Amino acid sequence: MNKSDIKLILGLIILVILVSALMFIINIATVNGTKKALVYYDNDLILSIDLDDSEFREYKVSGYNGDVILNASNGKVRVVEEISPLHICSYQGWIDSPHEIIICLPNRIVVKIEEQKEKIDTIVR
Amino acid sequence: MKLTKKQYLYRGIFLILTGLTILLYMFIYNVDIKEHSKSFFYMDTYINVKIYSNNTRKVNEAMLEVDKIYEKYHKLTNRYDSYPNITNIYYINNNLGMNEKIKIEKELYNIIDYAIDAYYESNGLFNIALGNAIDVWRSYRIQGHGVPTYSELSNIGSLSIDDIILHDDYMIEIDSNVKIDLGAISKGYTTEIVGNYLESVGLDKYIINAGGSVKVGNHYDNEKYKIGIKDPQKGGNEIFKVVNGNNISVVTSGSYERYYEYNNEVYHHIIDPKTLYPPRNFLAVTVISKDSKMADILSTVVFLMPFDEGKEYIDSLINVEAIWYKNNGQIHYSEGFNIYE
Repeated sequence: MNKSDIKLILGLIILVILVSALMFIINIATVNGTKKALVYYDNDLILSIDLDDSEFREYKVSGYNGDVILNASNGKVRVVEEISPLHICSYQGWIDSPHEIIICLPNRIVVKIEEQKEKIDTIVR
Repeated sequence: MKLTKKQYLYRGIFLILTGLTILLYMFIYNVDIKEHSKSFFYMDTYINVKIYSNNTRKVNEAMLEVDKIYEKYHKLTNRYDSYPNITNIYYINNNLGMNEKIKIEKELYNIIDYAIDAYYESNGLFNIALGNAIDVWRSYRIQGHGVPTYSELSNIGSLSIDDIILHDDYMIEIDSNVKIDLGAISKGYTTEIVGNYLESVGLDKYIINAGGSVKVGNHYDNEKYKIGIKDPQKGGNEIFKVVNGNNISVVTSGSYERYYEYNNEVYHHIIDPKTLYPPRNFLAVTVISKDSKMADILSTVVFLMPFDEGKEYIDSLINVEAIWYKNNGQIHYSEGFNIYE
């Protein structure tokens, strides 16, 4: 086995690794869902927050006792300010998965996360 | 030259590695079918064609042919422009003398023939002879002001399908100043032709999106295509329903696409041949069937029917389903729609 054989083998191995890596990246990139935080007052949807972009944003909704302030950032959402005796939902902090939920009982506010894994292929207009 | 044991070993390793590399390469290429996407602009619409295949050369050839098909039908069915050496709708509407016969291309003849059949099957609801009235509405829409009266719409010229006469040997004759308008059929018809072409060359995994009409073939991953239906009350890409299926065409007729508002009333582009006014029953009607030219016609016809009549009609047809999106936001589905849930 001479030098050029080794070069060829190495070249082929690198090529295979590169191609595999590229395929892997493409596969990951195509799995994109939409993530939303849904805010309910007395079971009525009053606000839907898009959690797909990473920017920090603040929202204000009306609860039973007055204004409820929410933050959203980088796929997470939290309640930061509200009028209630124990401030349970402010202390809960950030939630980021559909399994978690924020309930501000005195304010009758519920915050849920909804993740749509479904990828739409095309849209009829 | 005599090879040493070591050299044999190296040669062996080299051959095995090369073989494995080729196998892996083939494996990757077969599993990961590539998506090829191309957009065209014809018939006033962006048309996007996606083909899933690992044969790039074949796809590129097919895309060129798809472009040619859309271009050809665009020119033939166009009634606002003429082209050198093409007898198209513009020519027939504007240059053909009364009682003069002319030979037209087989493709154009076949669409007109199909559309005239649809007129009788729909009891006159699908009518390609409304060009004169459509032109009046169009000029009002461009101005964005005022509403034409019934006599203005009906006196402008013939609206009779009987004035369009097809003779043998691809000859057409026009008996009045009737103006043919193929706007309600050209996209769905051509999309069907393109889909059939792709299937005929073995590229059966595709999505054709021509705005209001979508046609899909087989799925690239043994699943079903998820086709979102735009919510007519919301902007952008918001959808209200997903239709899951393969080898189907999904066509929407909507009052939200081309319209103008006057005195707080919406006047859209779909004209009821009986009243010559745009009806106000629905924001959109979506029809799902295998054939996209049929779906295109049915979506217009059902859009013009009262809900109960339209639902009965769709439920009486085999392999045809529909979604009605009423003006008040209520949504209704045909009996067999759940196969696409």
